[in-house]
Amino acid sequence: MKPPLWATALAVALCLLSGPGQVAVASAATDNLPQSSAPAPSSANTTGIPGPMRSFLRMAGISQKAPSEEVLPLLARNVFSQGYQGSGTRREPTEFLLLLARYVQQARELQALAGSQGMLRVTSCDDAKPLLDVLGYRVRQDCGHAGTFLETANAQRAFLTTDSGFPLPELERTLQGGRAFEYAYPTTQVRVMFGEKEWLDIGKKDTGKDSHDLVDVILRDPALARLYWGLSRMDEDTAALLQQSPGLPKLLEAGSMLDFYGRYINVHNGSVVVPGGTAAAPRWKEMVGESPDNPGAFILALLSKDKGWMAAYFDALSRVSQNQQAHLTQAQRLQRYYEAFHGDNRGMHAARPVFRPAPGLLLLVTRLQWEADGTPRIPGNLEMWKKILRQRFDSRLIAEWGKRASRFNSPEQLIEAMFAISRLDSENGPLQIFLLLNELDSRKFPAERLTPETQTLMAANFLSYSNQYLIFAEFPELNDTSIRSFIQTARSLDNISNHTLRGNGLGTFQANLGLWQILARQGQVPRDKFNESWQAMLKPFAKVSSSSQLFDAGRESLRQVLLASLGRPNASQDEIIDLLAGPHQSNPEDQRIHAELADRMRAVMAGQRLISLDAVLALGDGMHEVQQVKSNTDVLLGLAEELRSFEMPQPIFSKSERTQWAAGIYNNRHTDLQMRTDLTKIVRAPESAEQLAEARGQLTSFLRDTLVGLNYAYYEPPGAQILHHNPLFIRSHDFAAETVMGMEHVWQAPQLFGTGFPAGGGAHLVGSLADLPYVLCQAEQNFIAPENVQALIWEQVVPGLLTSAIVPRWWGVSRQEMHAVTLHQREGEELLTASVQDKALRQKVLLILAERMSPQRLERLQRAWAENSLPVLMPRILPADTFYLSVEFRRKFSGEKATWGAAGTELSDLVRDHPDDVRWERLSRDFGVPHPVLAQTYTRELLNLEPFPTFTGYSSRLLAESWDSNNLYWARLADEQGYSPAMLNRLAPQLTHRMVEKIFASEFEDWPALLRAARETGEEFRQGKLAPLSADAVGPVSGQP
Amino acid sequence: MSKLWSLSLLLASLLLLPAAPLHAQVDQPSIHVVVNLVQLNVAVTDAKGNYVTGLSPADFSITEDGITEKIATFAEGNAPSRRVDPSTGKFAVDYSIAAATPGEGFTAADLPQNLSAAVAGANVFILFDTSNYMYRGFVFAQDAISDFVRSLESADKIAFYSYSRNLLRAASLTSDRSAVIRGVRTTVAGDDAALYNGLLLTVRDAAKCMGRKVVVVFSNGPDNASTVPPEDVAELAQSTGIAIYMISTREAKLEPVSTAVFERMTAATGGKAYFAKNWREEKEAFNSIRDDLAHLYSLSYYPQLNPNRGWRTITVKLVGERLKKYRIRTRNGYRPEPARIASSAATPEATPE
Repeated sequence: MKPPLWATALAVALCLLSGPGQVAVASAATDNLPQSSAPAPSSANTTGIPGPMRSFLRMAGISQKAPSEEVLPLLARNVFSQGYQGSGTRREPTEFLLLLARYVQQARELQALAGSQGMLRVTSCDDAKPLLDVLGYRVRQDCGHAGTFLETANAQRAFLTTDSGFPLPELERTLQGGRAFEYAYPTTQVRVMFGEKEWLDIGKKDTGKDSHDLVDVILRDPALARLYWGLSRMDEDTAALLQQSPGLPKLLEAGSMLDFYGRYINVHNGSVVVPGGTAAAPRWKEMVGESPDNPGAFILALLSKDKGWMAAYFDALSRVSQNQQAHLTQAQRLQRYYEAFHGDNRGMHAARPVFRPAPGLLLLVTRLQWEADGTPRIPGNLEMWKKILRQRFDSRLIAEWGKRASRFNSPEQLIEAMFAISRLDSENGPLQIFLLLNELDSRKFPAERLTPETQTLMAANFLSYSNQYLIFAEFPELNDTSIRSFIQTARSLDNISNHTLRGNGLGTFQANLGLWQILARQGQVPRDKFNESWQAMLKPFAKVSSSSQLFDAGRESLRQVLLASLGRPNASQDEIIDLLAGPHQSNPEDQRIHAELADRMRAVMAGQRLISLDAVLALGDGMHEVQQVKSNTDVLLGLAEELRSFEMPQPIFSKSERTQWAAGIYNNRHTDLQMRTDLTKIVRAPESAEQLAEARGQLTSFLRDTLVGLNYAYYEPPGAQILHHNPLFIRSHDFAAETVMGMEHVWQAPQLFGTGFPAGGGAHLVGSLADLPYVLCQAEQNFIAPENVQALIWEQVVPGLLTSAIVPRWWGVSRQEMHAVTLHQREGEELLTASVQDKALRQKVLLILAERMSPQRLERLQRAWAENSLPVLMPRILPADTFYLSVEFRRKFSGEKATWGAAGTELSDLVRDHPDDVRWERLSRDFGVPHPVLAQTYTRELLNLEPFPTFTGYSSRLLAESWDSNNLYWARLADEQGYSPAMLNRLAPQLTHRMVEKIFASEFEDWPALLRAARETGEEFRQGKLAPLSADAVGPVSGQP
Repeated sequence: MSKLWSLSLLLASLLLLPAAPLHAQVDQPSIHVVVNLVQLNVAVTDAKGNYVTGLSPADFSITEDGITEKIATFAEGNAPSRRVDPSTGKFAVDYSIAAATPGEGFTAADLPQNLSAAVAGANVFILFDTSNYMYRGFVFAQDAISDFVRSLESADKIAFYSYSRNLLRAASLTSDRSAVIRGVRTTVAGDDAALYNGLLLTVRDAAKCMGRKVVVVFSNGPDNASTVPPEDVAELAQSTGIAIYMISTREAKLEPVSTAVFERMTAATGGKAYFAKNWREEKEAFNSIRDDLAHLYSLSYYPQLNPNRGWRTITVKLVGERLKKYRIRTRNGYRPEPARIASSAATPEATPE
């Protein structure tokens, strides 16, 4: 019997609206999984999932939006990664796995009730009993009346029922006398890699138990589950080949290796594709001990060699560009670098940790630069590096390389050392110094590179200031003198012994520096004045030993920032906010966006109830001389009263309760001191210049907070709440780490403290203002409410995405430039489409995409071409993929006159007519994202990288930094809708916020979930469904570029 | 005639408090005009906790920072609000007006909507703890909440949210009970608990509604993931006239911090805290909240000139000897928001319509 029409229609609607509040009353035929790009499964290679797919996905922790071919792989992944705790004989199933197993059992019971037609039917109260018994509910009050409700009878069963999303309210309505309850309870077939029987056999051998089906096997056998997952990440041809040789049983122990390092292992034409290509194949053969021409043996040997570190090396090299591979796999390098990396093979297995270890290796091979003669470029010189390696680091390995360094006579040896050190789990070791100095050097003209002395000084202070150095990579114009003065000034502030003074000093200094950074980034400090203004800004802080000196230093430093930007040293707070909001705009619509940004900053300042800069400075300026105070008593009194206007939030806890319940967390000494500040007495009866100086000193903490507040306000994440509702948030920023024990490096990126302590007064930051955009996004991210039931905000990725939306500003972007971004994406699509028919073109396209697509993705693309199913695959291609494809195609095949569609033709015209607007450097600068970890800088750039995997120490942060599709896609949307580039200042944060609400991921590397969320957001935007955008947005402008 | 009166009232109210802004395009870009009507939900009970009904505007006196205020509108239970003649303290011509709160300006064009809001009963926002702390007893809690939803007056609108580390808006404000119960039944248990983050967002949503609004929190109490403290949430609720009711499923002594917050936050906002030892007591707590909603007096006033830009203390008393024996429960004050910046400018949220 076919399901009733209404059920089918509802199920179709659910496919479109799988958001909260939707209940699955669905039939087997219409269960809501996204369209698959894989071939339709035949019964020979499928297995049945008991019950509705939606329920199974809920219980298995899999996104409702995962494609059907991903169900078993994701189940396998969640089982081995979340299903067990402890290790070895003490390993036990987690609550997640127990519930999932119980659910599968319950689903099978319900399937039995559903019978061969797969339909649960209840028409009367009598019918309901067997079903209710399985569900764990009973009827309360007489059945068949309006007041009939269900209540829990068996808590364990009821939990499974509700957790799996069984449509209880619909059943309840039937029991109240409504129409018959019909709920499709099908078995859904999902694709099995290779065939179910083979897996059942392995499972039996591995666990000694018979299993009902593959779902049972996966639930029971984590080793098999991991192998299944690992193989599912490879391209199908390679995985099939491995199934044949060495065969799945032999691969069982290598499941963890395939999971971490198998994605780029690819067999083509009977040989393993090795980094460096055929030229490097003999060297790989020598290292691995098997020939790449014998894939099964080669891959097994690779995975098992050196506790997996050979495979880790292979994987890292496979992920970088062909050009980089060519350098790294040269005869004199490949083995030498590996031996250094591998070391004496002490330590753990490469696949043992939760995340991949040694992230430094991938960062090193990605960012390493080469001289024109092919030698590795090293910052400074070898003598400098000998000193650096001999610095005191808490590592025996580094100490060993420090000794060896005395014999270094070529850059190759230094790079070897870096490969060796990349095994270490360190944030501030020689490798990080190398990566930073490497970035600094590579961004400078050769003649302007930093001297070895400056670099040595930076390295010597790296442990303290490494996060602060990011600004020097962002502004390569800053020279040796500027960098040295920064270090000197920072040290001088570090030497202040008084904690309060030091905290205020660090805060005020960094806040001014942050304002300079914003203005310089926005082009509001002339490039040729960078050094002059930087040094002038630092100078007042050179010698500070009292609060009044600090106030004067902060004041003077701010004047220098304003002078460099405005051409005058004074400005009101409102003017400064207008300045920070961006350069002056002449177009009325852009002016409105500008005003909106300024108002948002003012809202943060108001929400924090910060004393206005005008009041603080006017008070400070008016309190130099006794006579001056006497002649301005009334004005100064008013200002002094304003200082006292801040009130603490109405208390809920007493002091003793805070001490008891938030010991070490609640500390508002800074604000308490401010609350006790009363300058009215001094203003009324000033006695001496000394007394006035002391009074001026008391203004320092207010000055600090307001200047810091301007920085926070500028980087306000979309949807921020703390900034508007916790008025102690900025005041509580602990620059000197007074409130925490053992935090020595106060200049490093701040950390969020106080989360989850109700009596602690709210979370606050401890540390510097370095990396502030990211940390603010981290603090505010959990206020974003996911759209989907069970979806959670993705820590590490979400702050990265938000940072990429709030740091860039689009004031200097021309319409032609934004349109070029659109056309590049469209031309990329045209190239992909034209490749369906044009096999010669395919090879060119593949050559380019191989730089940024895994073998599995490339295989899917080729299959889509062959099967003429590109339109299905197209939404799964990243905007960055098509963008780079177009850009690289034009670069690599510039001689080709033909274009592949209307967008290509239009783009060629645009390039011809506006060559400056559409050049790569400009697009990269204006539509790129910051890479503070990946490239040690907040410079916005497009790096043309495939999304990075997760790593120990970084989790998914590198993934977020390698995700550059958003701004490209938002720009295209804005362009297509006819908005001006300035509108991106509003759109990019809003669209990213909306995208985050929509992310529904299944695992830490589930970047397709990011893409899905972006595409859904784009569709909403196109349809005008985003309220603030359609309600009061600046309207589309007429005329395209 | 009545419209003219309303408009003049609005024009007379261009005071300090910001609210739903009427963007006045004058010299400065963000001058906002507001209506600073302060709304109070007042429960009056006798010594046994029984509700005292049938009181009139003249039975109440309100002071703000010691300044006597004149009641502008008055309602009992779910009856529509009625305007009070300031000179007599009695009901004016039979004309109803919606109660608005600081943070909710309205224009003459909005008035019909305000009227319908006034007769629409309360807006009840239910916030359900789905964190790991609620794992045991989760299904019983769902049952209790479902009962509560069914039992509310038909005039009430209900929203159902859940929280763990994040907030989930499972059912937005609606009078469709089945939609809300579906929301209740779709919740999934697990993850950290960020109660005060979730409550802040809920209060913010509630503040956007016209009419009476309350938040009912069903939580096990502990919070291990919030970044805002409860005092900020309480202040926002007080300043936007939202009463918070909290039901905890644990015995008070097990969680002294949460107990303290629950009792003090609810008291400060005019709500109530319940500590239920079992699911039966949970149901009783819900019944009590339902009764409370049906018996609250809604009073509002336009503050007299008050130079205080900080916290303003509100005191409500009953007038006359015969009423002095009764107890009053309402919020104890509010903090006016800064004048120049509208909250809407502060919180850009790309929420679909």
